[in-house]
Amino acid sequence: MAEYIKLIDITKCTGCRACQVACKQWNGLPAENTTFTGSYQNPPDLSYNTWTLIRFDEIDVEGNIKWLMRHDACMHCEDPACVKVCPSPGALVKTPEGAVVHNPKYCIGCKACMIACPFNVPRYSPEKDEIAKCTLCYDRITDGKRPACVTACPTGCLDFGPKDKMIKKARARAEEVGGYIYPNNPKYETHVLYVLPKGVDMKAYSHLNPDPKMPATVLWWKNLFKPFTLLGMGGVAGLAALHYLIKGPHEVEEKPSKGGDADGE
Amino acid sequence: MANREGMVRKTDATERMTHWILAGSFLFALFTGLGMMFHHWSIIPTILGGYYAVKWMHIFSGVVFGISLIAVIIMWWEDAGKFVEGDGKWILRAGGYLWDVKDMPPSGKFNAGQKIFFWFVVVFGILLVITGLIMINVLAFPVVVARWAYMLHAMSVFVLASFLMVHIYLGTIGNPGTLQAMLYGWVTREWAQFHCPRWLEEHDNKAQAKQE
Ligand code: SF4
Ligand code: SF4
Repeated sequence: MAEYIKLIDITKCTGCRACQVACKQWNGLPAENTTFTGSYQNPPDLSYNTWTLIRFDEIDVEGNIKWLMRHDACMHCEDPACVKVCPSPGALVKTPEGAVVHNPKYCIGCKACMIACPFNVPRYSPEKDEIAKCTLCYDRITDGKRPACVTACPTGCLDFGPKDKMIKKARARAEEVGGYIYPNNPKYETHVLYVLPKGVDMKAYSHLNPDPKMPATVLWWKNLFKPFTLLGMGGVAGLAALHYLIKGPHEVEEKPSKGGDADGE
Repeated sequence: MANREGMVRKTDATERMTHWILAGSFLFALFTGLGMMFHHWSIIPTILGGYYAVKWMHIFSGVVFGISLIAVIIMWWEDAGKFVEGDGKWILRAGGYLWDVKDMPPSGKFNAGQKIFFWFVVVFGILLVITGLIMINVLAFPVVVARWAYMLHAMSVFVLASFLMVHIYLGTIGNPGTLQAMLYGWVTREWAQFHCPRWLEEHDNKAQAKQE
């Protein structure tokens, strides 16, 4: 099964939000009531019913306002922190195509994935007691189609295709515009890549983690204490058995007793 | 309360019940927790009615554990919480469990080893409860706090579950005549003289004073 990548070429985004609408439409997600907050940011954040959105940021470039637009959604990690911590098998699945898919049927609403995700992606619904997020349109890509957002994008900012091809394209485009590829951590790869332009500080993009990686606490939890719990219990039980075999039980040494208990209390 | 020939009562009914509520809730939380931690043990959630049910059972048993933990701390603070003279020696001699020791310092109601276990249960039990409470409403906390909570929860389980095996061994086959102290409360005078002579002395003095 071929692995895929969604490529987001920030330099081509006009902030039209066609991707936002297409995602809602394909996934049958209801619109949200929002209020004006003094920015073009709308809706304000990802939610249980908003799996992708355009992040708007305004920065000052030599006295002029510059708009930053960034398509934000699940990054479909290669070794996803969310899957690593999820207690309920099947609730979050890493697929051979690279998509990380949630299944509401199995989600128990523990929210561990929300805390572990380095990109702060999954969103919780208290009413349903479960999470939801972008699935990379798994139902479309397994049918030979591109994700709904990519299909809707009019500028070519979003692209989708086989992993090698997309990486090649990202490198070429980054070179062309003098920008760079994000994320760029060989130890924490993702099936979504950005080409970010030159001349803009990465920190200017709100909600963009400058150093995405598997949280250290997750590694300690899952790679250390999880196996240690079994090793500890088994090891100590084994040592106790050895003690019993070698030293034997701690028998009471018989000493003359003073007789019965007087009052029992 | 009836007397038993040649025996003394080590624990009262409240102590035994509190102990077993603490132990039972811990074991059940451990059982459900391991069921969620190890996916190849999905048999545990399967028999208990699914992962969603297990989540709530885990939370419920954790709350019971927390309440009984407070009760245990109050109940045994005097006897198990405070180290006294002789406890240091007891520890240096490993309680006489590993090599032959002739002059063991006389223990009170609980020996130094039991006191260490008490303190592990107090420290890591409280850590378990606090991190568990954070995890119930995890979105109310900064992500750093939340991430540490999950990790410390797992760490405390590792520590307590391992120590629990020592406790089970020493409370049962490792020390013949001990388990009954937590079942119906009575132990033989020989047992008490051997394991907790200081407690037996105090106990006898009290009994005498009552009679006079
Ligand atoms: S971005 Fe977050 S939710 Fe998406 S696959 Fe990675 S860890 Fe999971
Ligand atoms: S909230 Fe659902 S998907 Fe997320 S870790 Fe918990 S069970 Fe898994």
